[in-house]
Amino acid sequence: MQHLLSYLIFLPIIVGLLALLIPAVYKSVFRIIALGVSFLQLLVLLLIIQSYSPIGSSFQLIEKASWITLDLGAWGVFKAEYFVGLDGLSFIMVLLSVVILFIAVLSSWNTTQNTKGYFILLLILNGAVLGSFSAKDLLLFYLFFEFMLLPMYFLIGIWGGPRREYASIKFFLYTLLGSILILIVIIGLYSSVKEPGPSVQVVHTFNMEYMKDSNNYVSGSVLNYSEPWIIGVWSARLWAFLFLFIGFAIKLPMVPLHTWLPDAHVEAPTAISVILAALLLKIGGYGLARLAYPVFPDGAVYFSWLIGLMGLISIIYGALNALASKDLKRLIAYSSVSHMGFVLLGLASMTVEGISGAIYQMFSHGILSAMLFLLAGVIYDRTHNRLIENYSGLSSVMKSYTVFIIIAFFASMGLPGFSGFIAEVMILFGAFKSHSVNMLLPEWMAITATLGLILGASYYLWTIQRMFFGPLSVKVPGDLRDLDYREYAMLVPLALVAVLFGIFPQPLLDIINPFANELADTIGRLVKVH
Amino acid sequence: MNLPNQLQWIFDSTAFIGSELILLSGLIILLISGLILKKETTLIFHGLTFLTISASVIVVIIDWPENPIRLFNGMIRYDDFSSYLKILIDLGGLLTILLTRNKIQKKKPEYFLLLTAITLGAHWLVMSMNFVMVLLSLEMISLSSYVLVGFGFDKKGAEGSLKYFIFGSVATAVMIFGMSLLYGMSGTLDFSTNKFVSALLEQKSPLVLIGGLMTLSGFLFKIVAAPLHLWAADVYESAPTPVVAFLSVVPKLAGFGVLIKFTLAINLFGQSTYPWQAIIGTLSILSLTIGNFSALWQNNPKRMMAYSSIAQSGFLLIGLTSLSISGVHAILFYMTIYLIMNFLTFLVIQQFELDCTSPLIPSLAGLGRKFPFQSIAIGIGLISLVGFPITAGFTAKFFLFSSLWEAFSQSGKPILIVLFVFGVTNMVVSLYYYLKMPYYLFLKEPPSEKTFLMNSPRWENLLSAFLVVLLLAFFFQPDLLMGWINRINFVL
Repeated sequence: MQHLLSYLIFLPIIVGLLALLIPAVYKSVFRIIALGVSFLQLLVLLLIIQSYSPIGSSFQLIEKASWITLDLGAWGVFKAEYFVGLDGLSFIMVLLSVVILFIAVLSSWNTTQNTKGYFILLLILNGAVLGSFSAKDLLLFYLFFEFMLLPMYFLIGIWGGPRREYASIKFFLYTLLGSILILIVIIGLYSSVKEPGPSVQVVHTFNMEYMKDSNNYVSGSVLNYSEPWIIGVWSARLWAFLFLFIGFAIKLPMVPLHTWLPDAHVEAPTAISVILAALLLKIGGYGLARLAYPVFPDGAVYFSWLIGLMGLISIIYGALNALASKDLKRLIAYSSVSHMGFVLLGLASMTVEGISGAIYQMFSHGILSAMLFLLAGVIYDRTHNRLIENYSGLSSVMKSYTVFIIIAFFASMGLPGFSGFIAEVMILFGAFKSHSVNMLLPEWMAITATLGLILGASYYLWTIQRMFFGPLSVKVPGDLRDLDYREYAMLVPLALVAVLFGIFPQPLLDIINPFANELADTIGRLVKVH
Repeated sequence: MNLPNQLQWIFDSTAFIGSELILLSGLIILLISGLILKKETTLIFHGLTFLTISASVIVVIIDWPENPIRLFNGMIRYDDFSSYLKILIDLGGLLTILLTRNKIQKKKPEYFLLLTAITLGAHWLVMSMNFVMVLLSLEMISLSSYVLVGFGFDKKGAEGSLKYFIFGSVATAVMIFGMSLLYGMSGTLDFSTNKFVSALLEQKSPLVLIGGLMTLSGFLFKIVAAPLHLWAADVYESAPTPVVAFLSVVPKLAGFGVLIKFTLAINLFGQSTYPWQAIIGTLSILSLTIGNFSALWQNNPKRMMAYSSIAQSGFLLIGLTSLSISGVHAILFYMTIYLIMNFLTFLVIQQFELDCTSPLIPSLAGLGRKFPFQSIAIGIGLISLVGFPITAGFTAKFFLFSSLWEAFSQSGKPILIVLFVFGVTNMVVSLYYYLKMPYYLFLKEPPSEKTFLMNSPRWENLLSAFLVVLLLAFFFQPDLLMGWINRINFVL
């Protein structure tokens, strides 16, 4: 019971590496292994839920072990640890990840091409995702964060659609640029931060908790709080925040850094699209809330107006692009850009409502985007074509499919009764309130953001009208059979979760709130000082 | 100092150069046996060279120096910094011999002779403290490598060899002229003495800058850094693969060994009026840009590795730019990892080249599924060259950039932060071309149903597996290596 998180992270990686030894001719063994691992992870998750108490903002299920300790002489000691733990934010993300990864295995059940490579990469990706959501040591976080890219690159590049090669290299280059910007800040941070406590030597630590406390900065170091260095127009701390922000915003993705996303989504196989939208985008938001905001609250306050504006632009621009998309998957990809814009807006408001809403939105979007991409995968599976204009009147042949499409679309557009509504309303409340609480965001931002909801309704309703209503006409050959059991098994739980947390959000909010409160407090203190 | 004392010093010194003596005797034995023995008895030369260099590396490790000792009237110094580099140089030599399996090279004892000679020259170069000694050992490396490059015995090889020779001689000539200027102004050939520093401090003439730059050019030529990189692509393309692997690592190691010392000396311990830090930083930016951006267009793996070698020198120069002890340690760590990953890459390039296909990267399309082991191995080597976790290439770059950041936080010079951001973002550029081979191996479909066979001996796969394990191990436990490097007490 002590090492639950480690089991969660390393089970898929170790099993994946062991599976390398199985000859590739046993094609169907690998999917069973992957499913087994995911099932075991669900069991471990149950144990984690049981032992996690939502009270307080401190970490739980902590595991700490020394990893690298290097004595570098006069400069000090280089210290990185294996340090994992869960707080409200991490818990929500780990919860989401385990569920989505299970569904991703189910959704790739019919993969036939090179199953050995596919499922092994999927298992390694699985471990890396869970690792980056639970790591509390910056180097460890970065390791998992970067290591996600490699399996993803191959998964898109080998098993993807016709333009997979272009899409995968674009994805890799964009996200590597982001992580390089993060690496710059990591190097700056660890050389500026020391471990508290009496010690002869300065111990330079990667512990993210120590980085939050202004007392732990070496005086005179580049990123110290009291007398920050000025580089060009801004202080070093503002630069550091900006670098982190851009790095995570590429991942999120924020307009104008989003161009990799539609390509990657359109080309990726269904299961990979699901993971990409539901989990990898969340790492952007997670990184902002975990690292950029708590460690550089000064930067967060300084740039909040800009971040709010970029969030707003993402909401509107993403929605407009979705409206213009001809490909169903591209439409969903752009709707993701729009929805992740809400996360930015919520974080920028720095009110408790806004931050809670942003995290809620990440969870809700994780569930809903997974559902949307699975549904897009279903129609692609039937006809190998995703162009909206090729379909009309599908509701007469694929009845249950239409029901699920309508649930997913309505939930995603923010209809009351679904999780998306709770999240977006909280974000809008937060953004609106920000002007009176901390004077960071003007009220027109929140008002304009509601336009995103209207646009969302437009593109979803229009798509339903075009594809599912009217006379039946399908311009591409294919067998239009309705959902099968496997597809039900993936879609029903997701739909239930979306409804459950739309009607009854309290359990999730109880977990999120301690974290959101603490973050809003940090910022609140800073705003009062100014 | 009178003559008997000098002679006594020379006699005493011989006790400390065990590894060099071994290499020298190996050289002589190779020379004689090459004349006497039949050329068909290839295994003898192969084995003899291997034994010689192994013995040399063992002696270096056994005779690990506690304190730096001046030898041969101050011409060379025996210290842990140079001993560490000597180990790397010997390992480079050993790996090259393991890589050699082309029949033409195997039958020529001269091939092994030249390899040993370069190794010996590199040994001398990293210990040199005197311009004359630097020149002699540098030329020992250069002359042997000119010949070695032409060892494919084809037209291309001859062309590459000639190009290398012309560039090399010009660079050496410029270097000698620079040294003569510095000698004229300081009155000493020993660049580590106080006399050198104090004399140059008094000099107000810009000739100090010019002389310094000219001397640097000789070293920049050896480490393949811009703007003296022009020879690299042609030479790498034309030379036999083991030779390329050898030349991309060993002269670079040796060149850096002396470059570090010379840069600290010409910087006059930070008192120089000339911005040496900025100069090195600019050279680093130049090498990174030229190397990375030229590599983007290459389709020949060896040409690509040539530009990669230029870019990697740029990264190594980042460590030098910080002009600190932690920078030197970072360079040593980087060098070790560079040795491993470069040899791993060339090992697999050679396997593909000799066993499967034409040398161009697109012809590798789809081979990843036929030869998963080799493909994964080269993938890890290239990913490590990018500096991507979970390979030691990441750790190495991390230490380099940390040392630069440390230098920045001590001096606050803007060039350092510019170089920092520049260097880190260059990793993204390099990803594109380093991924080219894995891209063709794994992502592209094979054009036709040609059947290839891997004829490589099994132990080559074992060797690449071993190198891969090292790359992973030094990522997860960098203290295995860094703990050792940190004890190296580098002083000028």
